[in-house]
Amino acid sequence: MGTQAWILIGVGVIFALLALMVIGIYNKLVALRNRYKNGFAQIDVQLKRRYDLIPNLIEVAKGYMKHERETLEAVIQARNQAVTAGQAAAENPGDPKAMKSLGRAEGQLTGTLGRLFALSENYPDLKANQNMMSVQEELASTENKVAFSRQAYNDAVMRYNTARETFPNVLLAGTFNFQEADLFEIEEEQQREAPKVSFT
Amino acid sequence: MDFFEQQDAARRRTGRLIAYFILAVVAMVVAIYFIVVIVLALVGAPERPGGPNPYMETPFRPGLFGLVALGTIGVILLGSLYKTSQLASGGEAVALMMGGRLIDRQTRDPAERRLLNVVDEMAVASGTPVPPVYVMANEASINAFAAGHQPGDAVIGVSRGCLEYLDRDELQGVMAHEFSHILNGDMRMNLRLVGILHGILMIAILGWFVLRSMAFSGRSSRGQRGGGAMIPAIGVGLLVAGSVGLFFGKLIKSAVSRQREYLADASAVQFTRLPEGIAGALKKIGGRPESSKIEDAHAEEISHMFFGSALGSLRFHLFATHPPLVRRIQQIDPTFDGKFPQRVKPVKVAPELPKPKKKPGKPVKAVRVGGTTPLDPGGLLGRIGVLDMEQLAYAAAILEVIPEPLRDAAAEPYGARAVVYAVLLSQDAQMHRQQLNALRPKAEEQSYRETERLAALFDGLPQEARLPLVETTLPALKTLSPDQYSKFRENVEALIKADQKVDLLEYAVRAIVLGQLDVQFGRSRPIAVRYRQLDPLLPSLVGLLSTLAYAGQSAEADVKGAFDKAMAAIGRQATPLAESDCSMRNFDATMKALAQAAPKLKRQIFTACVACVAADGKVTPREAQLVQAIAAVLGVPVPPIGEAIGTKP
Repeated sequence: MGTQAWILIGVGVIFALLALMVIGIYNKLVALRNRYKNGFAQIDVQLKRRYDLIPNLIEVAKGYMKHERETLEAVIQARNQAVTAGQAAAENPGDPKAMKSLGRAEGQLTGTLGRLFALSENYPDLKANQNMMSVQEELASTENKVAFSRQAYNDAVMRYNTARETFPNVLLAGTFNFQEADLFEIEEEQQREAPKVSFT
Repeated sequence: MDFFEQQDAARRRTGRLIAYFILAVVAMVVAIYFIVVIVLALVGAPERPGGPNPYMETPFRPGLFGLVALGTIGVILLGSLYKTSQLASGGEAVALMMGGRLIDRQTRDPAERRLLNVVDEMAVASGTPVPPVYVMANEASINAFAAGHQPGDAVIGVSRGCLEYLDRDELQGVMAHEFSHILNGDMRMNLRLVGILHGILMIAILGWFVLRSMAFSGRSSRGQRGGGAMIPAIGVGLLVAGSVGLFFGKLIKSAVSRQREYLADASAVQFTRLPEGIAGALKKIGGRPESSKIEDAHAEEISHMFFGSALGSLRFHLFATHPPLVRRIQQIDPTFDGKFPQRVKPVKVAPELPKPKKKPGKPVKAVRVGGTTPLDPGGLLGRIGVLDMEQLAYAAAILEVIPEPLRDAAAEPYGARAVVYAVLLSQDAQMHRQQLNALRPKAEEQSYRETERLAALFDGLPQEARLPLVETTLPALKTLSPDQYSKFRENVEALIKADQKVDLLEYAVRAIVLGQLDVQFGRSRPIAVRYRQLDPLLPSLVGLLSTLAYAGQSAEADVKGAFDKAMAAIGRQATPLAESDCSMRNFDATMKALAQAAPKLKRQIFTACVACVAADGKVTPREAQLVQAIAAVLGVPVPPIGEAIGTKP
């Protein structure tokens, strides 16, 4: 056998190994991407549940908080914005723009809800209302679930991003369009800490 | 054939299959060698012009042959290893590869809800862990698959068409078919097949690759004498040899798959005793224009895992992974005339209420949950790894007594953790508080409170419903992130240790939850078979049976009696251990050893256990839990032990 044949075999083996490696990396990235996307689906379910609960809350509160129309409307508006942002994010989970705007919308919603609950302290009848208590309870538990699935999603995104950035994966990530995914972080509003109490 | 024999047979089948593939590989090595020699003979010019061609003179050269064999086997091995490692995480990898979306367990979509209910009932009834269910939303045809290495990492995938066109009975039939694949041990072989075929495919890919690279760099190498023609010839050779190998590989795969499909159909009918269910689903496949065809590019690779032919061909040919559709239906419904329904309309799915109405015409025996039950050991052994209507009804009844808030909580990861914590809380008030205190600093405030809230719902929940409840938490817990899982795991261990002793329920919960999830999260490897003879395991078995005997009897004489009966059931004799030696710590070590027994031995182990428990003719809830824990560790699917089983002749 000539040297030529040996070189040929060597080149063939190296090519085969390289091809295998490329496929391996590609598959790993796909798997990680799927995982964080599934992770977002988990959050999405909880967010939707939360959005569904808010109209009930407003319905109950409206009867008591006649003078707080502004706050109530702010909650409704924040909720509607969050719904839109949530839809955009669900279509493209991990997309930095979508995740940022969802984070902002969620922060706003949390903030306005916080104000609403702070105000409700002034309405003992509302506080004692059975429906109000159960909606509030359910909202709180949904928020916990959101927080928990958010943690799982963020873990999955970190894993994906790390895998994407390590060598040699980073060479392929660009070629195959594996874009960086963004964490889901809720931008908390500052006002939340100091709820303004109005006696109008 | 009972469950254990099926498992053994499945292992043997896998072995035989690998032997066939080795034959195919040897044939490929020989084929490639000949191609190489011919190429060398043609292009390798004789040493002297007009002289004899060295490759014609001595065509067999051990060195060259060894090289070719090494290269070929190396490539195949690499290809298989690669695919196997890609599928190492089991069913989840397959489902994601097929574009599956995990169905959220809190779904409000009536069709998805109904599917999850059918799967839950079947899993609880057969004693297998509840598998996560994926839907292939892009597939309009009617098809489904089960994939995984073992029941613990199995997932079920269904096409969108399954949700849209099948009614509940048909869905039940299809799911029974898939569960029988899980219980018959077909999944492991199916995954192996994917790996091996991929290895063989690599040879063809390599050939194609060589040709492609030639097309790009063809001009430059033309100058060299002979070498220019040699490379494409090798490429073609590899392509041909790979294709031939693939041809035989697929032939083997199809033949094996066809046979397993008949068996799964038959088991499904046996399980549900509703031939109309599975036959109806098959007829609808025939009636839909897209039949059972799966559009995804990966369909070919896992075509042998599907319920119906994923490649759309419904007739017989050598590469058909499934028997012809008409023949399959006729096996179940001999009166079928081959005429498929003209038009299959989507089924309207009514939301399934917590308390389903009993269908008229199919009397379901009223099942009672709770209390001590008589036990028929033969009946129980015969029921391992099979499903039937009574078990399904019993499972449905068990799931029905679980309060709605608990089932809801079990459906998502946040609540599912709290459910597991709450199950572990002791009945004893003081111990209960002690455990909660142990949990408090570790778990975040919210999940601590959630646990307290759920714990209150456990009052009045029958013992038998607790383990099924825990089983339904598994799909949700599988979606935890690795960090969340390690915290969860710590908390579970802390709760178990808080009361200074491990009781049976705790042991069972730990075995079911951590045993399954540790594999899922890569903390432990799936259990491999290490023992094929009973004798090296005898000391462990004595330990297990002694513990069981002390658990069920109070009087010393009864203990000895139960132990002797158990040993007699497998034709051995021994003396039971002292009660002080039957600690939970020893028990755990014992179980770990026994889990590595071959299926045939597990049957003996289990026979002895049942004989021990049944010695006094009764099963206390405590004994039932212990049997369930043993089953969980051994990986034996035991149906819930209750009245439905006990009264069966």
